[in-house]
Amino acid sequence: MITVHANFHSHFKELASTGEASFQIENPTVEALAQCICDTYGPKMEAMLIDPDTRELNERGTMFVDARGMRVSMSDALNDGDTITFLVGIAGG
Amino acid sequence: MESRLLRVDLTTGKMRSEVIPHSVFERWIGGSGINNWIMWEHFLTHDINCDPRGPDNIFVFGVGPLAGTGAGSGIKGRITFKSPCYNMFGDSAGGGKFPYMLRFTAFEYIAITGKSPKPVYLHICNDEVSLVDASHLWGRDTLETHTMLREELGTYPSHAHTLSISQAGENQVGIASVVSDALRIHARCGGGAVMGSKNLKAIAVQGNGGLKIQMPEEMLAWSDDFRQKIDENEAVYGFKRRGTLGAVEMYQHIGSHFWRNNQGNMFRGGEITSDNWVKKYHKYSEVCSSDCFIACDAKYKIDGTESEASKKYIGETFRRPEYLTTGSAAGALDVRDWSEVAHWGKITNDYGIDNQDLSCAISFLMELKQRDLISDRDVAELFDREQSLRWGNMDDIEFCVESIVFQKNLFGKIFGDGPYLGAIKYSELKGQNFMKYATYGKGGASFTEEMRPFPTWMNNMAVASRGADHLKGIGLIEKFQRKDLSKIYFDGRTEAADLSVPTLKGASTALIENQVALLNSYGVCLFHWMLDPAGYTPQDYYGKAYAAATGIDRTPDELMLDGARICNLEKAFNSRIGMRREHDTVCERWMWEPTDEGMYPGSVAAEMFNPVLDEYYEWRGWDKDSGLQTRKSLEDVGLEDVADVLENEGSLA
Repeated sequence: MITVHANFHSHFKELASTGEASFQIENPTVEALAQCICDTYGPKMEAMLIDPDTRELNERGTMFVDARGMRVSMSDALNDGDTITFLVGIAGG
Repeated sequence: MESRLLRVDLTTGKMRSEVIPHSVFERWIGGSGINNWIMWEHFLTHDINCDPRGPDNIFVFGVGPLAGTGAGSGIKGRITFKSPCYNMFGDSAGGGKFPYMLRFTAFEYIAITGKSPKPVYLHICNDEVSLVDASHLWGRDTLETHTMLREELGTYPSHAHTLSISQAGENQVGIASVVSDALRIHARCGGGAVMGSKNLKAIAVQGNGGLKIQMPEEMLAWSDDFRQKIDENEAVYGFKRRGTLGAVEMYQHIGSHFWRNNQGNMFRGGEITSDNWVKKYHKYSEVCSSDCFIACDAKYKIDGTESEASKKYIGETFRRPEYLTTGSAAGALDVRDWSEVAHWGKITNDYGIDNQDLSCAISFLMELKQRDLISDRDVAELFDREQSLRWGNMDDIEFCVESIVFQKNLFGKIFGDGPYLGAIKYSELKGQNFMKYATYGKGGASFTEEMRPFPTWMNNMAVASRGADHLKGIGLIEKFQRKDLSKIYFDGRTEAADLSVPTLKGASTALIENQVALLNSYGVCLFHWMLDPAGYTPQDYYGKAYAAATGIDRTPDELMLDGARICNLEKAFNSRIGMRREHDTVCERWMWEPTDEGMYPGSVAAEMFNPVLDEYYEWRGWDKDSGLQTRKSLEDVGLEDVADVLENEGSLA
């Protein structure tokens, strides 16, 4: 069991009603974290997080990055204490 | 598919209507593609090296075939001209109801040349057109002009919708813009100065005609499907709530803002660094155009209780700021109060002036003052009075804006064409080289986002046909690290989404430039595509709507070739006026000065600049040494006639 921190921004923050949360997960992967977040916050969060066709992380209009600013994918491993940040992907205007 | 073009010669007052035949749509799609072609043909018989503020320049307005059809993809009109501030190809998109209403008159394209002997506005009422004395409007800002025209023209056959300029355009300030219905701005490239130079204060349209859609049932089916895609997409719902201000927190997290003339890349202060304030002060949701399923626009109204600074603006109401309005105020100028950011958006709109070049001109000078490179006396010389030039001081900033708009003083005269030419002139005046503090890319155009860690974005700043800009080649595959898209477009390869390598970054620019050229020619909003509910494919999914509207049914590959043709014509325009590889570049700060904050510290453009640019030319089939098009590259996109012109003038590789 590891503890992983999630930072929620913009629409993610609204769906989670908080800017940050911590999750205990058994399987140390992004997939396990994503499932835990969906279970906690419900179908709207799942619609933001998961591509219904591929069951991969939804890349459309989103940006999920690790502490180095690199986008993560389902199979990426996580370590105890890692932080993943959930952002909307929009630019310009 | 055919359309009508209204040609107006302001020198003689003569106007005539022309048919734009189906063959032109077959070649140029519509919207910006057709605008480009109208301008290209004009400059085959007029001197392309003319003064952009002279009567030989042309001002084209056009709206694409998908606009107003009920497709739901938003409406953007486009103005096209030779830019007075960058002295090269210029164009700019704008939303609102003006382009929609133009389609309900007898015309969809307007081409204006010459110079009126006195201020006039062009009135189009269904198929009747007239030039009307505008002396009562001269000296008014865009809100006053729009309000007066609305009152003057009544409500039949419809309310009037307007394009207008403010005092900045009248004074031919190089970075003056054109404003639609006093709300939506065609900001870039100085179209306002072109209108002002022609004594054209405004265009007002009223219409109650209809649109011809070639295959209405197919259009309705497409529209239903698109609405469903939009409604099912939670990310789009989030965008409805925040618009482009959703970018504030993402940019704050990764370090992509443009702070204090790009000395940093994070906003400072409290509330302004999050998008909480967007919702807190958001009053009314709105659609920008009448044909948009998203409705990301909104209005604010300041009641004076929001902050100490807001007391100055009690009762002020306007559009909620977009990201770049916020980026230019909270970023470039370090304004930290939301009401002042909103006020910045309102004054730059009412004065019709590009907030990108404007903020970078002001922040350039503020940085010189911060570094004690100029004295209080130097500042007083520029402004004819004492001026603190403190970062974030809205009173100072507003005086700088008025200095430029009204050409009040030396500062206004030197920096009216933006930070690049302003920095050159000021360096010459003071006998010192200040250019390392000027932020700009191609053509001297400026842009208030951090670009150094993002090689595709940086390449866009160097090659965009209208001067440094993100909207021609939007580097979304890279910035959002979209490996899925990289795989789709580059045969399973993922490097286009990898920030650490130059590979496929130039290719991404070329690919997305072609896609954006298509969207701009369809006449739709880029955000529907950027949010990606439909699979990021203007050549495929949107192509079906285009076919329904026009009857022109193309394969995705053929449409991508159409996009490439449009981009190549813009490139050829710039080649004709002498632009070569050395013009495809960016400023010293972006090239050599490393970022020192954000998630990608130590980034400089120089690290990947040349390999990316080389790759861009390779994907375009252009000559890497000169940057010029080859005959083959033009023939491949059906532009043999353009190759002949370039060859005759020595502008073909």
